[in-house]
Amino acid sequence: MTSPSHGGGPEFESPRAHSGLEIVAMFEDTIVKDWPSVRGDHTVVDPVSHICVVTLASDMEPLENVCMMGSCKTENLGIEKIIANTISNINIRYILICGQESRGHLSGNTLLAVHENGIDEHGRIISSQGAIPFIENIPTHAVERFRQQVELIDKRGLVDAKKIQAIVEEYRSKGEPFSQPPLILESAKKKKTHSPVQEIAHGDMMIAQDILMDSASGVIFVEV
Amino acid sequence: MFVFQKEQEIVNIANVKIGGQPGELPTVLAGTIFYNNHHIVTDPLQGVFNRKDAEGLINIQDTLSDETGNPNMVHIYAHTFSAAVKYLDFVSEHTDSPILIDSTESKVRTATASYVSEVGLADKTIYNSLNMSVTEDEIEALTISDIDTAIILGFNAMDSGLNGRMQLLEDGGKVLPKGLLEIAQECGIKKKLIDPSITPMGDGAGVALRMCITSKAKYGHPVGSGIHNAPSSWNWLRGKKKEDMLVAKICDIASTGLQQMAAGDFILFGPIENAKYTFPLAAMADIMISESVADLGSEPVDGHPVYKLV
Repeated sequence: MTSPSHGGGPEFESPRAHSGLEIVAMFEDTIVKDWPSVRGDHTVVDPVSHICVVTLASDMEPLENVCMMGSCKTENLGIEKIIANTISNINIRYILICGQESRGHLSGNTLLAVHENGIDEHGRIISSQGAIPFIENIPTHAVERFRQQVELIDKRGLVDAKKIQAIVEEYRSKGEPFSQPPLILESAKKKKTHSPVQEIAHGDMMIAQDILMDSASGVIFVEV
Repeated sequence: MFVFQKEQEIVNIANVKIGGQPGELPTVLAGTIFYNNHHIVTDPLQGVFNRKDAEGLINIQDTLSDETGNPNMVHIYAHTFSAAVKYLDFVSEHTDSPILIDSTESKVRTATASYVSEVGLADKTIYNSLNMSVTEDEIEALTISDIDTAIILGFNAMDSGLNGRMQLLEDGGKVLPKGLLEIAQECGIKKKLIDPSITPMGDGAGVALRMCITSKAKYGHPVGSGIHNAPSSWNWLRGKKKEDMLVAKICDIASTGLQQMAAGDFILFGPIENAKYTFPLAAMADIMISESVADLGSEPVDGHPVYKLV
C-alpha cells in the first residue's frame, strides 16, 4: 500500500492531446453535481463514505457503507472509469481491490500499477502486466490526482462478503476528505463539436449508378 | 445499400466462404461455446463440461445453417491450454465448421496454435486475435504454426477514433513498429478477417461499425465483429434486464443486423444458445441486403437465404 498525499500536488499540466476527458470545473463541495460522473457496472451506496470496493471480475452484491462498489474487468476503459469517479468525489480516500482477477486483462494488477507508477507519455500504464494497459481518455494530471487522493488496499482473491464488509467498516470514516476540490471530467465525445468538412477523395462505394460514397469522409455524393 | 468499388476478397476456411460484396455471400455466424460462466462448463481450468449439452448446442447451430443458408463457425473460449485442447478435440469431432480459438491469455492462444498444427486442425482454425498487445513470442508461435487465418483486431487503446484504428492496421500508429496487417502477413496469415473491436457504446461502438465500411473500401478483406458486446456492456440495459429479460435479448440479437448493414461478413454473436434467434434475423437482413443491391452487380451465391427462404 502507498499513502495518499493530502494535497500539494504538482501544478496541472496540459492534458495529452488525444485525451477524451477534460476537466471542466472544480467544485466547492466534496462531490461534484450528478456524481458519479461516469456510468459503469457499479452501485453507489453512501457517497460520503471514504472507501470504494472494486470486485474485479467477480460480481457481488453491494455492501453497506461503501461509497461505491462494482466490478472492473478491463485494464483500460475500466480503470479510466475508476479514476474519473474517484477524483470527482474527494470523500473517497481508499479503494479496496478484491474479487477474482480478470484473466488476461489483469485489471487488478493494472489498477495497482497505475497508482504506483502512473502512465508514460503514450498513456501506457507503467509496469502493468495487463494485455492492453492504456489510458486514452484521462489527462495525465487527473491520473496524478488519483494517485495522490487515494490509498489502495490490495485484497485480490478475496470474495468473502463478511471479510470485505469488515474492511469497509474499518475505513468508511477513516481520515478526512482530500484537501483539494473534486474534479469533474467531461467527455469530449459528448460535446457538440463542429468537425471541419473533410475533403472527398473519391467515391469507393456505389449506392446507385451515379450516387457514390466516400467511405473515409462518410459523404454520399452525386457523381458529376 | 451499396457496393464497394474495390474488389472484395472472399476467403475459404474449411469450405466456409467469408467476404465479398454486400448481398453476395450470406453472413457467417459464430456462436461462442465454453464462455465465461457457461452453464455447461463445470471446471473451466481443466475443461470439464457436459458433453451431451455441448453436442446439442453445436447441432442446433449446424441445423440452423442448413435451414437458413447462413454458414456457421464455432467460437471457443478457453482459460487454459488444457481446457482449449479438450474443447478443440470435442468441437472438431462434432462439426465440420471452422473453429475460432480464443483466450484472454496469449500463451493459451499460442500453445493452442501449436497444438492444432500438430493434430492437423490448422486449416479449420481461426486465430482470435492478433491485436495491439501482440508479442514476439506470439509472432514466433504463429509463424511456426500452420494457421493461415486470423482475426486482426482494430482496437487502439491510444486512439480509439477511426483514424487510430485504421493506423493500427496500416502502420501500427503510435503503438506498434509496423501495422498489424504487415505483422499478420509475416506470420503467414494469408486470410485476414478484420474486426474493428466493439468498444462499449459511448466509447466508440459506432466508430467500429464505420471502420468496417472503411476497411472493406480500402483493403477488401472480410470484416466482422462481436457486435453483441455493445448492448451486453450497456449499463442502462442491465437495469432494464432486471425488469424484463426480453428487452436485453432483443437488443442483443438486433445488434447483428446493425453489423450486417455496416457491411459485416461475419459476426460473433455471443452465447451459442442465441443461435435460434440470431440465424433468422441474420437471414432476414441478408435477404433484404441482397435485394437492395441486386441492380448494382452483386449477385447472391447459391444457397443464399434469398433463395432458400423466400
